[in-house]
Amino acid sequence: MATQSPPSPSSTAGNPPTLAAETSQQATGVQQDGPPEAAEQPISSPSVFVNSEPMREEQVQNAVKFLSHPKVRGSPVIYRRSFLEKKGLTKEEIDEAFRRVPDPPPSAQATSANQDGQVKSSSSNIQSQAPTQALQPQPAGAAPTAVSPASTMMMSRFHWYHAVLAVGLLAASGAGTAVFIKKSLIPRLKSWIRKVVLEEEDDSENKSIAKPSLAEEAAAAAKAAAAAASDVAKASQELLNSKNEERRYFSELMNLLDVQLQEMKSMSNSIRKLEGPSNNSGRTSLVNQEDHRDSVTGVKQPYANGKADFDMQSVRSSSPPAPGEPSVAPHPKSYMEASTFVVPLFLRNSYSCNWKFICIMAMVQRGEKPPNIRDINDLPPNPNQQLPNPRLAPKAKPWEVGQAQIASGQVIQSQVSAEGLNFKVQDNGLNHQSDDDSSVPWWQRKNVKITEVGEDEIKAGPYGVRTNEPPVQRTWVPPQPPPVVMPEAAEAIRRPKPSGPTEQSTSHQLASQASEVADELQRITKISEVGGIEEIKGNGSVQNSSEIQEEQETHA
Amino acid sequence: MPVFKTPFNGYSVKFSPFYESRLAVATAQNFGILGNGRVHVLDLSPAAPALTELVAFDTADGVYDLAWSESHDSLLIAAVADGSVKIYDTALPPTANPIRSLHEHTREVHSADYNPTRRDSFITSSWDDTVKLWTVDRPTSVRTFKEHAYCVYNATWNPRHSDVFCSASGDCTLRIWDVREMGSTMIIPAHEFEILACDWNKYDDCLIASASVDKSIKIWDVRNYRVPIAVLNGHGYAVRKVKFSPHRRNLLASCSYDMTVCLWDFMVEDALVGRYDHHTEFAVGVDMSVLVEGLLASTGWDELVYVWQQGMDPRAV
Repeated sequence: MATQSPPSPSSTAGNPPTLAAETSQQATGVQQDGPPEAAEQPISSPSVFVNSEPMREEQVQNAVKFLSHPKVRGSPVIYRRSFLEKKGLTKEEIDEAFRRVPDPPPSAQATSANQDGQVKSSSSNIQSQAPTQALQPQPAGAAPTAVSPASTMMMSRFHWYHAVLAVGLLAASGAGTAVFIKKSLIPRLKSWIRKVVLEEEDDSENKSIAKPSLAEEAAAAAKAAAAAASDVAKASQELLNSKNEERRYFSELMNLLDVQLQEMKSMSNSIRKLEGPSNNSGRTSLVNQEDHRDSVTGVKQPYANGKADFDMQSVRSSSPPAPGEPSVAPHPKSYMEASTFVVPLFLRNSYSCNWKFICIMAMVQRGEKPPNIRDINDLPPNPNQQLPNPRLAPKAKPWEVGQAQIASGQVIQSQVSAEGLNFKVQDNGLNHQSDDDSSVPWWQRKNVKITEVGEDEIKAGPYGVRTNEPPVQRTWVPPQPPPVVMPEAAEAIRRPKPSGPTEQSTSHQLASQASEVADELQRITKISEVGGIEEIKGNGSVQNSSEIQEEQETHA
Repeated sequence: MPVFKTPFNGYSVKFSPFYESRLAVATAQNFGILGNGRVHVLDLSPAAPALTELVAFDTADGVYDLAWSESHDSLLIAAVADGSVKIYDTALPPTANPIRSLHEHTREVHSADYNPTRRDSFITSSWDDTVKLWTVDRPTSVRTFKEHAYCVYNATWNPRHSDVFCSASGDCTLRIWDVREMGSTMIIPAHEFEILACDWNKYDDCLIASASVDKSIKIWDVRNYRVPIAVLNGHGYAVRKVKFSPHRRNLLASCSYDMTVCLWDFMVEDALVGRYDHHTEFAVGVDMSVLVEGLLASTGWDELVYVWQQGMDPRAV
């Protein structure tokens, strides 16, 4: 299963550089697109979406303890990170914890030291390019590099070794069963054949009158062979079953023994305590043992039957059997290695009582395809198909009226061009738009019912707008002028106008204008600040724009 | 209230941001386990309560989610179970569609969301643990966000900050991202179990709702993300989708595997303000119209699409 664990020891060295390498190009691409639209960026800074809390030392230490645990060491890095994230640690805390703990797994602990040495030696290598010293760091650098791949090779060999062992064991057991079967089957066959042959000879001797034709003999032989084959099959199955049963017996026995061990211990304790008649308790324990053995045999039968059902339910077994019961996302995604039709784990969690659903899940688990699926080619017929021209300008959202966040400059008037509208889709939409004026559609009739009780306390944007336009109609609203992000800049832009034709630009007047502008600036910035503090910026910016318009008028 | 019967099991329903009467439905055959898919574009006829199909597009694999473009009134983004993202032009006939097929995700694409402020980009989230950022004019993704440890079930844009979005994942965390930043800017371990959906409050850009397999919906304030400001209990099974109302600050709608669609007011003690049990199978998709206040749509595995006004009975004729 592919994991995200980087080869380098610390995640800070590993992850960010790879991420940076991946996304730096894309980030620059995004940033190139960014500046033209930066003017329409929201007023408030996005810093509220970042963790501004300082690192909590206690959490970091807990994380270090967690990461130092030997079992955790063996797990992939991404699951360690995921666990810590679930515990509520921030990214910085997790990175700090990773930094503090030597990351590599215990079997290759030496590599961390080696790799550190390698880092140092490589850096020294770069620095000391002098040939006299170059020889020394190079072998030192080469040796750890040789050791580290060797150690990784060791790790992989470790796994291979295990796999080889397992395969060998399996082969041995298979060979053993084969030999066993041969030993038991062949004598059985031989004895059986001898029986048949003897019987036939007897028959032929006894039935001198009867004419055993070749055909009859052949038929009899065929029947016998068939019977023999079935017997062989039965015998082999019995052998296998007996093997399984023996295994189960063995495991049950082991459990029993453990249980009895504990019982014996408790018994002995109680005996010591009581100092009473020990013989009776001993006998009862023996009786209990026998009861247990009987119960084992009783248990065995339903277990065999239950297995068949278990396979059917294995689809849902990895997740809770009851619908919608919370289930922890299992790691790793073992279903990926399952049949060719991967049943998504999310859907496994969605257990529906619908029999159709159950049937389809079972079918897919078996690897069968449900019959009603068609082969559909859903690739684009013309991958270079031109994007259509937008026929309608984007509408302002109810929560952003007053802010005019329409980024694209494509404020195209709703031009109804005939050539593009041979498809009735457009006609319907536009007709409905015009119909709204005349008749109220059924889906809007109930708008009046919704009362705005208590909404006055909540500073919601659209209710300011409602007063401007009728509540039912939703025609296209011309976009509001963009909000003033930099009032000083706005004033700077507007300043030349009044100082041009209307007034003489003497230095004295300029100074007075500047002071006026400064006063207005203060007022405007104050208003924008006040507007910004309020939760709903719509009101604030509406005030802003109206105030600024007033300022314009007074100024001009 | 109109009902539409789809041939396949419904997965998602979205109102168009341009036309009041238009909505799109994503469906998948065989409950989305394995089979074809279909995208329906439906229209509400104004006179009689009825839903008619304008056009339908067939796909080779199930369609899990849809997103209408905010810049082009006829463009529709489809998140397909074979890992591809398909762009449809609903003004063109099905034979000329899709106009784009973007195949970069290595596993099922579970959700798609179009940027409502910038209107030029959209994000898709997938079971390959990544979220990808796209624009309609580029053949490849702009960025890939890979940090989650498990399937990302939902990713939604912030309605005010054009560069911020939130993702909900099966690794039980919510992550807030800024496309200008390298990685996620905030990690909220929101639930103990898989988080299936998330949505931002339209009137308070710091509030997020998360819906989880643990049957609860939690409302989080990113300024104080250690403790949720509200926990909404009431669903009987996993909550599949959650949507904040575009018209009211405190209202949100949710749909769940308990076959109901619920309306909540999270500022009130007794938060459940409406419950609709019209579906006879898992209710998997729900949407609130941006253009018409109070208009709700839902779809589910019972192959039905309902559109109704809040306060009315969806099954009323």
